[in-house]
Amino acid sequence: MENNIENKEMTAQQSLGIITEMINNSRRTILQNSAKHFLLWGILLTVTSLVIYELWHVTGSPIWNCAWFVMPALGFPIVRILDGKHSDVPQNEINKQLGLIWLTYCIFAVIISVIAMLAVPMNISLVIAVLLGFAECISGFLLKNWTITIGGLILGIGGAVATSLIYNEAQLLIFTLGGIILVVTGLIIKFQYK
Amino acid sequence: MFPKLDPLLHSELRLAVMSILAGVDSAEFSYIKKQTGATSGNLSVQLDKLSAAGYISVEKGFKGKVPCTTCKITPTGLTAFENYVNSLKEYLI
Repeated sequence: MENNIENKEMTAQQSLGIITEMINNSRRTILQNSAKHFLLWGILLTVTSLVIYELWHVTGSPIWNCAWFVMPALGFPIVRILDGKHSDVPQNEINKQLGLIWLTYCIFAVIISVIAMLAVPMNISLVIAVLLGFAECISGFLLKNWTITIGGLILGIGGAVATSLIYNEAQLLIFTLGGIILVVTGLIIKFQYK
Repeated sequence: MFPKLDPLLHSELRLAVMSILAGVDSAEFSYIKKQTGATSGNLSVQLDKLSAAGYISVEKGFKGKVPCTTCKITPTGLTAFENYVNSLKEYLI
């Protein structure tokens, strides 16, 4: 069907065709819009983890972990700018739930990090890796994409094991892998809903 | 005997609008226009008809300083849309 709809009568078959096409097109547009969020946070996570890794490695000081808080401080304003360009793209159930999952992840990650730094020392990398894998895995189920789901499982379970076996700045490389998985997720969504 | 199709929905543009609105929380006029490829004038007329029937609600407001019209399917509209799809199925089986 041409992308120019008039208000004329049609057959039952044509009606069904319009319904299917409109629902699919709209879903594609909405999810394409979600892909850029995965790309943005994936790039930010990869770059931040590599920068902190390098600074920690060179100076020998874990104090550089404070730089993690730069990530949300930088990421959320960029999200606002990105969404502003496509401000007329609406929300559907899937992207609303994706947003809630990752917002919950972010809240957990920030609060647990603050508690770990100020009050109760814990293997924070393990907790964050599990949370990241968990959020990625559920995103895969929501998007009905097994590659994303398996990526989440590998990240969560593999990350938990790896962060228990390796220490100090080397743990940060788990998050570099996490960032790459998020970028790949964004690319998968972009291609799946092209 | 085939069920009678809702004449308000049995029109390309109005059906397209309802199909879009059935899958989202709400949608702006510009988004619906882009998705359907309809002209502003024609789309406005069809939105008014759907709104008059109580199938959608239309809210006019501002986004910053720019006027913004937002449409949302109502429970009546959703029921009508579901009934329409069910009737279509009977035509096609």
